[in-house]
Amino acid sequence: MNKVFTDGLSFALPLLIMAIGTLYSEKSGVTNLAVEGFQGVGAFFGALAATLMTPLTGAGSQAIIYLAILCAAAGGAVFSCIHGLLCIRFRANQVISGVVINILSVALTAFFTSAANSAISGSASNKFVLDVSARFSVPFLCEIPWIGGLFTAMYPFEIIIAVLAAVMWYLMNRTKFGMRLKACGENPQAVDAAGASVTRIRWAAVIISGALSGIGGICFAYSLLGNFSPSIYQGFGYLAIAAMIFGNWKIGPTTLACLFFGLAKSGGLQLCIAAQLPSKYTDLFLLLPYVLTLLLLIFFSKKNRPPKAAGEPWDKSKR
Amino acid sequence: MKKKKLFLPRLLTRRYASLGVSVLAVLLMFATAGILLLTIGRNPLDALRSFLQGCGIIAKEKYGGGSGQLTDLMDFLNFLAPMILASLAFITAFKAGLFNIGISGQMLLSGFAATVLVGYNKGLSVYLAKPAVLLTGLLVGGLTGILVGYLKFRFNIHEVVSTIMINYIISYLTGFLINSNYVDMMTRNSKICSPEAGLTLTNVMIGGMKCKIPLALIAAILAALLVSFLFRKTVLGLEIKAVGQSRRCSEYTGIRVSRTILISMGLSGAIAGLAGVAYYLGYTNSIVPKSLPGIGYDSISVALLGNSAPIGSIFAALVVSVFQQGANYMSSSVGVAKEIASLITGILLLFAACGNYMKYRAERKMQQAADSLPVSGNPPAAGGRAAKGAEKP
Repeated sequence: MNKVFTDGLSFALPLLIMAIGTLYSEKSGVTNLAVEGFQGVGAFFGALAATLMTPLTGAGSQAIIYLAILCAAAGGAVFSCIHGLLCIRFRANQVISGVVINILSVALTAFFTSAANSAISGSASNKFVLDVSARFSVPFLCEIPWIGGLFTAMYPFEIIIAVLAAVMWYLMNRTKFGMRLKACGENPQAVDAAGASVTRIRWAAVIISGALSGIGGICFAYSLLGNFSPSIYQGFGYLAIAAMIFGNWKIGPTTLACLFFGLAKSGGLQLCIAAQLPSKYTDLFLLLPYVLTLLLLIFFSKKNRPPKAAGEPWDKSKR
Repeated sequence: MKKKKLFLPRLLTRRYASLGVSVLAVLLMFATAGILLLTIGRNPLDALRSFLQGCGIIAKEKYGGGSGQLTDLMDFLNFLAPMILASLAFITAFKAGLFNIGISGQMLLSGFAATVLVGYNKGLSVYLAKPAVLLTGLLVGGLTGILVGYLKFRFNIHEVVSTIMINYIISYLTGFLINSNYVDMMTRNSKICSPEAGLTLTNVMIGGMKCKIPLALIAAILAALLVSFLFRKTVLGLEIKAVGQSRRCSEYTGIRVSRTILISMGLSGAIAGLAGVAYYLGYTNSIVPKSLPGIGYDSISVALLGNSAPIGSIFAALVVSVFQQGANYMSSSVGVAKEIASLITGILLLFAACGNYMKYRAERKMQQAADSLPVSGNPPAAGGRAAKGAEKP
């Protein structure tokens, strides 16, 4: 039971930070299906930095994880500029741009991973091997019955993500920038009339979205996968988008949706272990989050209210 | 002076504007890929030549016994068939304003269904098995597409999200079924389907060379003609296009939008199903568990590059398939990781997605040029603009 909570939380939090990333972009009026690509490319840069730095610090150093997270955020932010360029500058169809970026990112990371590996170690392997991050338990809290599992065997990045999520909530709901950003997604003309630059705010939103998604990606690489390989593209980004849709484009409800996904995933897996089913049945349990997503979307999509201007390129002359 | 400067804008605004955009995208892709290859120290021309050699378009230096340039060319055509079909599937949905990202999943499911139902059924004769395979593909793919369309208009679920979810569900589900019932212990893939059901005739000797005859290519070209006919000449095609342009407007004109969405998604799924059987019962003959075919995603670049025109997509498919099919040979002869094929496709997709912007810039340039000139000067530019203006309403 404890394990369900522990694993559930460590899956939910990276998902949450990606969902918040998508939310920023969509709230500013740029439809963002590219999270899947952002998180993969972010994780690639993080893993590349970790692989390059490991000889300097020695294996098993935990400091490297923080460096990797920073690099992943930077990498995701840089890569997200392509989405910004296509959607904001080139007025491309935002859904197409998202799909293009997802396809491009898979190819880019696959190619450069094997290129980097053959340059570093001489063997063209398609993965960077990373350590799994160290874990710790919060004293006292982890002994609470029932929910103690939430505070047991935590990854350090879970704290970072939780703090970051709170900061992002504050930025979105309590600052001038956040207000303007939300207005950009509803009525960009009003923002323009008020004297702010819609283009600049949207750029900022897309870049924030890339950075946050990159963090989510590297956290998955360090916890769930233990390496960087093409298996990072498992649809985490799309799950994050689905979580955001359940959350009706609000950070609070999105957090609950992410927790629900995490618990569903870890619960399914523990159930499979508890029932002592052969390993091939894990595939059936792995598809549980996706089936749940579809079912929940059926119930929740109807009364959703996405940002009004999402998906439309900003046109100053339009009324 | 001025005339020469306007060459590119003119190419992008006149009658063959879409073709101009596609050609420009391909040229930009070659330039980018060339620079990429140069930076990692390879000769781009060598790479291009071996891509073409790998597809049998240019002859290799030497061939093994019983194979030749025609063998490679037929392999290439065998790969081309599902690629054309998949891009037609994307186009059919795209015209209605829907993004069918689920082509991979629809391909996998229908390929799996046809393999299990027909491919493992040894008793069927050739004349019964092959149509049965096609029919299974059409039906299974079509039903999956209809499900997506239903989720879209009944529950307001964005088709990109739903198709992605369905992709993963199909991938894990078929993976589980293959691993528990149909796995070949040696290859870890599903067992090979029977030659009666296969859509490709294997080991046909032509001029001393062992060749494959891809029957699915005929289906693909027929499908392209049919889809072209659908959008050019039929009411349904017009309705689908109208829904794609403006959902609300077509509602007011009396088009039943929900029905049109269902039909176009169903058609798209059905064609994707055909692509699936062409791929799994023609090109590979077995299924790798838990992996979605890359063709499903490449088809998006093909469709965008072909400016979502059915016939244009045949030529676009040729370009993209050269890189995908030639990658292995290129990788072994030039020594660049074969992942570069997907990278090149991705870059191409990137430029194709900017097509509208290119057109928009070109139109602006033409306008500026026309405005800055005196009335008597440069009649072709002014004439071109006037003709364009007249077409618009």
